[in-house]
Amino acid sequence: MKKMMLIIASMALMATATMANATATMTPTKVKMKIKAKEKNGIVKAKVAISHNMLTYDQAKKKGKEANFITHITATVGDKVVYDASTSQFLSKNPLIKFAFAGKKGDKIKITYTQLKGEVFFATKKIK
Amino acid sequence: MKKSMMSMIVVATMAISANATDYRVEKPEAWTAKDVPSAMKALYGNITPQEGAIKLKAPKVASNGGAIPVSVKTDIPAKSIAIFQDVNPEATVAVFAMQEGQVADVALKIKMKKSGTITVVVEGKDGKFYSKSFSLEVALGGCEG
Repeated sequence: MKKMMLIIASMALMATATMANATATMTPTKVKMKIKAKEKNGIVKAKVAISHNMLTYDQAKKKGKEANFITHITATVGDKVVYDASTSQFLSKNPLIKFAFAGKKGDKIKITYTQLKGEVFFATKKIK
Repeated sequence: MKKSMMSMIVVATMAISANATDYRVEKPEAWTAKDVPSAMKALYGNITPQEGAIKLKAPKVASNGGAIPVSVKTDIPAKSIAIFQDVNPEATVAVFAMQEGQVADVALKIKMKKSGTITVVVEGKDGKFYSKSFSLEVALGGCEG
């Protein structure tokens, strides 16, 4: 009986491990981003430079690589979304974005982006 | 058992906090449309945008077509802002889903293959659509390199 239990337990563990691996590509990875966020009179002006090749389909074909570019960028403060951009292959390499929203210094802003295949990356910065 | 509970909770919270509109998911045809009118239609339906109080700024002559600074500013209460151009393989560049507390003031750098026209459409909270266009020259094409 104990052996059976052990086998069942280890099978369950393996199952959850594969489940965890399935969501692994969607698990956000922390990366470095140049984030500037400054508050003045209740409005935060943000400037974000993301390191990304933004390889268009045409460029990828020429280089014999797979196209890869950012498709969605969001900025959140806590659980409040303050910026949401759906993007194409036509943003520049190492895209630079600017936006503004009502906020306050001391809060933390989180920039999250998704790329073509679905991988998610993020970075955070305190609003000055 | 505990591990699967944890991963379920993590996925659930991720789903809840991701309440932003992903136009790439919701309007897939807007991203494959080749010309501006088709892209506009795929994104917003049959609209007739009126010339609007939109400040669309870009250099008159872009020295590098791979990194053209574009900024859009408007006082129109906006639900979304879409940026199109008419020289790349597809027309839609970006769509901003305006958030509560966000100021309608966005800037980004875009690629344009050659000289052409950028068109911005603002979807007003009043249900009306407003647009502004800007034509520019591109010294060095941007989709190569």
